[in-house]
Amino acid sequence: MPSPKPFPKPVSDADYLRTVALMGTFVTIHVVGHGVDPQQTIRREETVERAFEWFRRIEESCTRFEARSELRQLTAQVGIAVPVSTILYEAVQFALAVAEESSGAFDPTVGHTMETRGFNQEYRTGQTIRTDLEPGGSVSYRDVRLDPGRQTITLLRPLILDLGAVAKGMAIDLAARELLPFENFAIDAGGDLYLGGCSPNGEPWSIGIRHPRRDHELINSLPVSNRAVCTSGDYERQDAGEDGGHHILDPRAGVSARAVASVTVVAPTAMLADALATAAFVLGPADGIRLFDRLGVDGLIITPTLERYATPGLSCAC
Amino acid sequence: MNRSNLFLLAIALAIFGTAVVAGHPNWGTFTGLAILLLAGAMAAGALPLGSEPDFVVQSVPRGKISNSLVTLSSAAVLAVYIAGYHRTGSAADGFAAQAARRRTAAPIVAGAVAPKLATPRVEATPAVRPPSAPPFRKVSPRASSAPVPNAAPTAATTEDSPATPSASPAASTSNDQVAVPAAPIAAAPQGQYKDGTYLGWGTSRHGDIQASVVIQGGKIVSAEIAQCLTRYSCSWIAALPGQVISRQSPNVDYVSGATQSCNAFSDAVAQALSQASE
Repeated sequence: MPSPKPFPKPVSDADYLRTVALMGTFVTIHVVGHGVDPQQTIRREETVERAFEWFRRIEESCTRFEARSELRQLTAQVGIAVPVSTILYEAVQFALAVAEESSGAFDPTVGHTMETRGFNQEYRTGQTIRTDLEPGGSVSYRDVRLDPGRQTITLLRPLILDLGAVAKGMAIDLAARELLPFENFAIDAGGDLYLGGCSPNGEPWSIGIRHPRRDHELINSLPVSNRAVCTSGDYERQDAGEDGGHHILDPRAGVSARAVASVTVVAPTAMLADALATAAFVLGPADGIRLFDRLGVDGLIITPTLERYATPGLSCAC
Repeated sequence: MNRSNLFLLAIALAIFGTAVVAGHPNWGTFTGLAILLLAGAMAAGALPLGSEPDFVVQSVPRGKISNSLVTLSSAAVLAVYIAGYHRTGSAADGFAAQAARRRTAAPIVAGAVAPKLATPRVEATPAVRPPSAPPFRKVSPRASSAPVPNAAPTAATTEDSPATPSASPAASTSNDQVAVPAAPIAAAPQGQYKDGTYLGWGTSRHGDIQASVVIQGGKIVSAEIAQCLTRYSCSWIAALPGQVISRQSPNVDYVSGATQSCNAFSDAVAQALSQASE
């Protein structure tokens, strides 16, 4: 076993870097520079702590792995208008809007299907969850109703919401919002990123896009500043059951989507980037790129045979 | 502001400008003329000059949709930020105490199980961590002094680390009915876990990870990487440098899509938790 290597590209002394396990992955926050004055250092640590706290808050509300989460409490009540927190309301509202926009390719009501297909383990405790729902045929995002005035959510049928993509994105965006005073920072939540300002060398952050088939290779790298970059790949979170199954289901068919190996989206918010990456994964290359074009975001789609499709803004990555 | 409003404003400005010219002969002439000029310019802008295409209508099909989701996501973030700001503000207050605890707890690798309860409100100043040190770099000197993970720190934590990583998590999860650990709400049933800081090891194909879990009031309040004895110097977690090495691509700061299974970490945490519930 080789001894641990020092950082090959040492982070500058003034940088602040911290990694915590949250939302089933590792979250790293990196604040560039800003001096070594003790007062400033404390303020920076406090701000980073607040940024992490957003991840915890949102995870608390939106996880489907925790029986007491607000999301699960909501699930327990069918046909009733349930008043919910702003976090949950905004997350669901946004998820439904993306579902509408993608004609159901993205659908937050896949929770139960995910669960029955083995995506049912709490990552810290290993505890598995199982929810008995009346077998009532397929559900869709149309079975969820919102009341913006009273901030309530009504489930018309028994279903489980999966806010995975949206919640993580929202946490990244809120952390980014918290870190705004620092200007130059990076947030990495398991390969979903938000890059503020510039990297320590004073240029836009250089972001590699992982090769969907070769673990330690990059497709390419792009300069990114004040944007979120999210990638969905079929190589993450393999499904134990289905041969070659993975964690992105086609909500309309209930099986893993297969036309795409990975999707990368560059957008102003991580919420949007993450949700659209999932949607495009299901839609496939042609419709996916069309969706990106229509929404004015940049995206790169790689098929299992490694063909690449990109919007004009990312054509350099091809 | 639409055109007719703009036009009305221009007229109002023109009247005001005239009044200034008339009323204040000393300095008012120039000011008044300036105001009049401005009014003229606004009026010109407001009048439908030439056959300019109706850009408003043109931008609707694409602009409206694209704005809707982008704006909606930004609006959602803002709404949550405003609604929740005060709630997270308290996190920062609790931070000083917690950070102090972390700092004092970290060096005591052996006494991991010692409940580190009383550290009431240590003002953070004395123990400030040197700014250059992110948590896992801080412990790396110790790591390098004990490069073989099996021989690493101390008894309780190492006995079954790399060899049988799966055994202890499995045992721990079946023993304690785990519904509670991360449960935020409700008067946390005390005693699910004993308060304190616990360490545990987990193994991945890249190497070993030591997790440090802090229990407070029976709940997990933090789970962090204490030591990282992985091939890529924890970089596959911290995402910075190791990927640069392994990917042979020196210019990359971060990698999108580089999800790593955190099994090693959850194994380590499970092991730490098994001590907390003993």
